Amino acid sequence: MQIALGRGLAFRRHKGTMSRSARREELEFYLFISPWLIGFLLFGAGPIVASALISFTDWSLLSSPHWIGIENYRRLVQDPLFYKALVNTIYFGAGSVILGVIVSFLLALLLNQKVWGMPLFRTIFYLPSVVAGIATALLWVNIFHPDFGMINYVLGLFGIQGPGWLQSEEWVIPALIIMSVWGAGNTMVIYLAGLQNIPEHLYEAAAIDGAGAWSKFWHVTVPMISPVIFFNLVTGFIASLQAFVLILVMTNGGPADASLVYGLYIYRQAFEYFDMGYASALAWVLFVLIILITALQFKFAQRWVYYEGDIRG
Amino acid sequence: MAEEAGKEFLRELEKEMKARGYSRRDFLKVVSAMGASAFLAACGAQRRPQTEEGMAAAGTPVAGSTPTRAPSAAQPTPQVKVEWPSAEALGLKWPKTAVPEPKSKVEISVAHAWDAVFWTRQVEFDKLFMQRHPNIVVKAENTPWGDFLQKYVAQAAGGTMPDVMYVHFSWAQQLIQQGAIIPLDDFIAQQDDFNIDDFTKPSLVSYRKDGKLYCVPYDEGPGILYYNKDIFDKAKIDYPSDDWTLQDLKEVAIKLTQGEGPKKQFGFANTPSPGDATMAPAYLFPFGAQYVSEPNEDKCLITQPVAIDTMEWWMELRLKYGATPSPADLETLTWPAIQFGRIAMQLDGSWATPVINANAKFKWDVAKWPKGPKKHSTFSAGSGYAITKDSKNTDAAWIYLNEYLSTAGQIFMWASTGRGSPARNSAWPAYLSSKYAPPSAKIIQESLNEFASHAILDKPTAAQVTQRAGAVWDRVINGKLSVREGLFQVCREISPILARNRE
Repeated sequence: MQIALGRGLAFRRHKGTMSRSARREELEFYLFISPWLIGFLLFGAGPIVASALISFTDWSLLSSPHWIGIENYRRLVQDPLFYKALVNTIYFGAGSVILGVIVSFLLALLLNQKVWGMPLFRTIFYLPSVVAGIATALLWVNIFHPDFGMINYVLGLFGIQGPGWLQSEEWVIPALIIMSVWGAGNTMVIYLAGLQNIPEHLYEAAAIDGAGAWSKFWHVTVPMISPVIFFNLVTGFIASLQAFVLILVMTNGGPADASLVYGLYIYRQAFEYFDMGYASALAWVLFVLIILITALQFKFAQRWVYYEGDIRG
Repeated sequence: MAEEAGKEFLRELEKEMKARGYSRRDFLKVVSAMGASAFLAACGAQRRPQTEEGMAAAGTPVAGSTPTRAPSAAQPTPQVKVEWPSAEALGLKWPKTAVPEPKSKVEISVAHAWDAVFWTRQVEFDKLFMQRHPNIVVKAENTPWGDFLQKYVAQAAGGTMPDVMYVHFSWAQQLIQQGAIIPLDDFIAQQDDFNIDDFTKPSLVSYRKDGKLYCVPYDEGPGILYYNKDIFDKAKIDYPSDDWTLQDLKEVAIKLTQGEGPKKQFGFANTPSPGDATMAPAYLFPFGAQYVSEPNEDKCLITQPVAIDTMEWWMELRLKYGATPSPADLETLTWPAIQFGRIAMQLDGSWATPVINANAKFKWDVAKWPKGPKKHSTFSAGSGYAITKDSKNTDAAWIYLNEYLSTAGQIFMWASTGRGSPARNSAWPAYLSSKYAPPSAKIIQESLNEFASHAILDKPTAAQVTQRAGAVWDRVINGKLSVREGLFQVCREISPILARNRE
């Protein structure tokens, strides 16, 4: 996005100096983005502004809202469950994104080999990401059964004591992180596309310089694919900080709030406790948090993300 | 025969693969993979409990309990083919509503939360209603139970609630407090034959506020004891009877618990939890204990010595004897758990009978919830219908409501179909004579009228109270807190929330 904005800014001219064709191009630009823009203004911007205002009210949805100023934000600071949900969410987010990036990247590397039956393998690894969410949740509830689930069974074969997984306060988040990797197919496809776009001549040049397999991977593959990794990190974090549906189905925030994530807490406040004002305040805090984390990611990206040409992330 | 069929399948598979250009080696690889999968699946079926820690986490006496979260939102759709009697066959007499008929066509929207099978009965009722009232067009909406409240709360915000809507007891006080539904006393006062005394005693409790009635209940069911007759027969134990005490229940539950792993048989389905809004009447009142102060629900009383002793007594079923399923087990046993044939007894509302009727592959019946040393008590709960604040046709909405929840309406919808527990006493004979009622269905009405209590958590704070209490109770079930410590922590968590009920 930064690159696109940068290029846009670089080509911006004052309207008075624009040629007819440039003006026409500009008009076409706005025409093409207008469907999204109209949709966003009508269905996105409006509710966003409304939610900001609602966060300063006491509103149950069932009756009129009452203005209470920053009371919701004051209450949030003193709410132990707010901190609990935040910690759980960051734990889950960090774990699922990092593990997801590693697993999907490694899968993409494997699936980029020239091996017989590769289309079949790519299909198999992609399929879990198209399975419906609730079906995934029910499947993993069975897999994680502490007594006769598949994971503990396999661990038992090696003499390892399996934990309680979804029934354990310590293991519920790791269990959810493991489950989140199930849908690695989507990001794997993106890595695959990135890997296939790495110019072959770079590997040839590295080989000529005496690079082995590891050196080629670390000094050619990783830098060339770093924009894709960065994209997946940013989008992955944004998605995982808002994770909610599968956790609602699988654990409902238990046991003992050990898997109470931020999105679930917002949902509860809004639709179970009828406190839309407080839920909106929580949502805005999440928004600010996501912006901060994303900004930090962009800042640190300058050190490790490489783009072709001179423009850097 | 199975072996021949298997060989034929393999022959066909080899032929098909050859036709697609695969070699015999490829065919052998595929068959080996299929065999390995079958082997793994077979191994899974015979899986024994893994390790001590796994067993502890899963369900041996240290850990586990009924889940503190609400059961799955949507009821499983009964799979049986139903043949419900028609209105003519029932000889129903529909009431004449005192409110005048609309002079021109009006449309009313009615929001329901039925499963797919029962929806057909609803459609039939609406068709007959519209035949009787040609100027009232009924636009019925059906929403899965789990999504119902969220959908209509959002509609309330937009001022587009339906004219008439289904109301669960746990939402009623919130909707009343926020003015989302209107009082019905004026309509009832005009209706000479409404007969408010016809309603079972506990059925109106959740729908009243400051002396006004906001909903008309369609059902109110007591907590009753479901039991698996086959399990009792196999163990040569007498079925539960009216003489049973809770001590008898506990002893039999322990006796009927046997086996381990995925096929383990449990003596009892439920472990009481403060995360359950209906816990107190069935588990605490019989021992003279209380959960919260009634009727205001503004003080936590579960740390009184008698309550602690009572909860410790109940929790032995889970923590000491493993006689109830763990949370992990319950994940694989959808509500009501007894329908899968692995549980000998279950306390549940009478509304579970249609599901068990449809799905149980064993002989079963119902009995009264046994009496305790101090009192005979069980919970009761139900649902109703209300007219919303956004209704533009309240007269037409009342005409619909009055007929829908009249004796005739309750017989048509709930008594004759086996849904059970109609809120009106006059509809009960039809239910008891219905072929869908369990053999001992009469105990349901007796329970309701003799000892069922609606002293359950139903104030607007109930959702938050049960959520907080349940989170603490998870730690008791997992052995991280003793029952006593857990109860004190529950009180610390919920007391500030209960205090809001005094406002």
